[in-house]
Amino acid sequence: MILTGFPRNANVPCLWYQRILQSIMDKGNPRELWEYILTQIELSISSANFNTWFRNSFIVKIGEDGVIYIGVPSQFFKDWYLKKFHSLLLKIARDVSYEFRNIEYLIVKDEHRKIQKETKNVRGVMELPLDEFYINKSDSLNPRYTFDTFVIGSFNTLAHTAAQAALARPGITYNPLFVYGDTGRGKTHLIQAIGNQFKKQYPGRKVFYLTSEKFAVDYTDSVQAGTANRFKDKYRQYDLLIMDDVQFLSKKDKTQEELFHLFNTLHDTNKQIIFSSDRAPSAIPDIAERLKGRLASGMAVDISEPDTESRMAIVQKKAASHGIMLSPEVIEYVATAMSGSIRELEGMVNSIICHAQVKGSAPDIAEVRQSLRSFTRPQKNISVKNVVDKVAEYYGIDEESIYEKTRRREVVRPRQVIMYLLREDFSISYPTIGTKLGGRDHTTVIHSCEKIKREVLVDNDLLKEIQNIRSLLV
Amino acid sequence: MNISIEKKEFVEAVHKSARFAEKKTGTLPALSSILIIASGDGIKMRATNLETGIDLKLNGKVISDGVVAIPATILQQIASSLTHEGTIVLEHTGDTLSLKSGMGKSTIKTVAYDDFPSIPFPENPKNRMVIPGVLLRSLFTSIASCASSSTIRPELSSLYLSVEGNILTAVATDSFRLAEKKIPLSNKGTQGKFLIPAKNALEIAQALPDEDIIMSFDEHQCAFVGDMGMIVSRLTNATYPDYRQIIPKESIVEAIVLRKDFEQALKRTTIFSDSFQKIRISFDSKKNTLSFFARNPDIGESSEIIPAHISGSALDLSFNYRYLSAVLSLTTTESISLTAAGIGRPIIIKGITDTSLLYLVSPMNQ
Repeated sequence: MILTGFPRNANVPCLWYQRILQSIMDKGNPRELWEYILTQIELSISSANFNTWFRNSFIVKIGEDGVIYIGVPSQFFKDWYLKKFHSLLLKIARDVSYEFRNIEYLIVKDEHRKIQKETKNVRGVMELPLDEFYINKSDSLNPRYTFDTFVIGSFNTLAHTAAQAALARPGITYNPLFVYGDTGRGKTHLIQAIGNQFKKQYPGRKVFYLTSEKFAVDYTDSVQAGTANRFKDKYRQYDLLIMDDVQFLSKKDKTQEELFHLFNTLHDTNKQIIFSSDRAPSAIPDIAERLKGRLASGMAVDISEPDTESRMAIVQKKAASHGIMLSPEVIEYVATAMSGSIRELEGMVNSIICHAQVKGSAPDIAEVRQSLRSFTRPQKNISVKNVVDKVAEYYGIDEESIYEKTRRREVVRPRQVIMYLLREDFSISYPTIGTKLGGRDHTTVIHSCEKIKREVLVDNDLLKEIQNIRSLLV
Repeated sequence: MNISIEKKEFVEAVHKSARFAEKKTGTLPALSSILIIASGDGIKMRATNLETGIDLKLNGKVISDGVVAIPATILQQIASSLTHEGTIVLEHTGDTLSLKSGMGKSTIKTVAYDDFPSIPFPENPKNRMVIPGVLLRSLFTSIASCASSSTIRPELSSLYLSVEGNILTAVATDSFRLAEKKIPLSNKGTQGKFLIPAKNALEIAQALPDEDIIMSFDEHQCAFVGDMGMIVSRLTNATYPDYRQIIPKESIVEAIVLRKDFEQALKRTTIFSDSFQKIRISFDSKKNTLSFFARNPDIGESSEIIPAHISGSALDLSFNYRYLSAVLSLTTTESISLTAAGIGRPIIIKGITDTSLLYLVSPMNQ
């Protein structure tokens, strides 16, 4: 019971306590409602009675018509509840809410009751989904990465097709398959998806996924321990070897040599090999020529920057996988707010999802702007006039006055803020800022920027103002 | 309350109902008590542990009505120490009950009876059948020992009772061996099946009378009603495994032996069984013998050969001896048959003239 140490058999229930319990309780949740009812019952009957009759009962469900179904172990209980506790239970339930119309008793299976006890109180999906971090020990593949969750767009069609072809005839069509592209483009997702699909398609064959860094560490460890032979054997047994981020092998000559031999063995026995890197094989610096040639000998495909449509698709898919439907404008906003990495895009979606879970509804465009403030860097091609307009509007002053030579206090501060923003966020040169804002000297601009920069550190209000303005600017 | 009862009647009733009282401490005091009720309907004794319950009718004289609850253990101790024949007078005054037997008198403190639960009867006992109490008692006591004693799988620690046509089938298994017993019903009862916890069945068996009783049940509860009163039990709410599936349909060898031979050979071989309680049985079709062999590295080894009628091919199987000897308490026939279906498959043991019993034992790994 949650009420340890509370006086049992107290005839007068403590009202303040009851209130607090009532207010923190989620009355739609059977478990919490039952806990509350128990605490109330415990006060009004003897502990032997309580232990005998209430230990093994629970609320099975709360019907939509306001009927609470209480699960009890046997007919004895059912009869006794009806005879002795029915009115008490009903009174307590009614105190919680008038929605509860009646209480009915069900005799339920033993196992059923136990499972109920173990299930934890989960409101929505607020808990961190731990299964995402699950990694298969034997092949170190993360089952989360599958082709089902892989968004195909024009930027990665080629890579995807090559992957499918390699899967259809592993070791023969494209061996090795070399996937390259900038960070956060989905290389790891693609190659792990190949691994997971391979496992599904060819049960019994062995897959292994590792990063080049792990390979290097493994090699040095084995040299140190004098078990280099075992190291060789270990990697030669796989039917599909996936190595991520091979560019990190540059300058590690011995490891490269080892990979070279491993490559030859696997390639000769028609075992599929898949590599990924952030650049094309020929562009990887400090890597032996013979290895470079072999890396490029199969198929080298690159994943380019995702286009806007693909990014929108990614945002939508990611949000949908968490059960949240975003409005089209939100999707478009998120997809265009930042260029480049899909990883950062995922980060943004996660942040939206988190906000949505806390609030319990899908966020609208304004909320998304607010919550993504930290992610977005204002676009660089914004016009100075635009900034001036927004800031003037924010401070409620006439925009013309910004360009004038006035030194009124209410104008000076916004003008300084504008200069600061233009410099910090848009990297416009000091002289240009000066000219654009009514032909001021560049030293004036430097002074203003420095001043705001200093004040932002100590003045929280100013910091907040600037943040708000930034969110207006995007 | 004021009643007088024959001593014999009283002692029997106390012993019967005390079984049904709660033995664990720390529960409701009323649950570990026997409730004595005197009213216009006569005298009744009630006890329940919320799993099973009993409501016994007693023959006696009611002088004045009333209800009283007495701790079952106290009442049981008193009942077994009563020596004086004749009538017993129970009188309730204040919070004590005075019990007069012959020249002796004891006053017992009573327990508050408000908390004593009602004994539930099946809600809509449509399923009912009449069965001699003595048959049901022997059914329960014989096969209940074959049910699992662990509570992990409630269905295995229960007896499976089913009525098909006018045959009542009772099954108990602990997944190593299985006993199935069939008894014919004189009149066709309603068809149906239920699972009763084996522990409860044993307690009920002790309290069943010899005469015909009405057995009725619904989804959660069963009741046995007769002239003596009513006994109820909770039923196990689970599905019983499809046991017929594991009974081998074909056989490769069958041995028919005298029960006496089997019992003695088993008894002696058992002495030499190892820590796994393993003994080996060999069917020898050429010599027409059944041999028992056991070896314990600490004690020694022993082999017994008994004459048997063997039809089929030779076969060696090892068993836990306890599972073999259990069959002896299930049937009383002079000779028994052992039917084996092959290595690693269970054997079926039956009484030769006893068609009601089927006993199945799984062999141990060789």
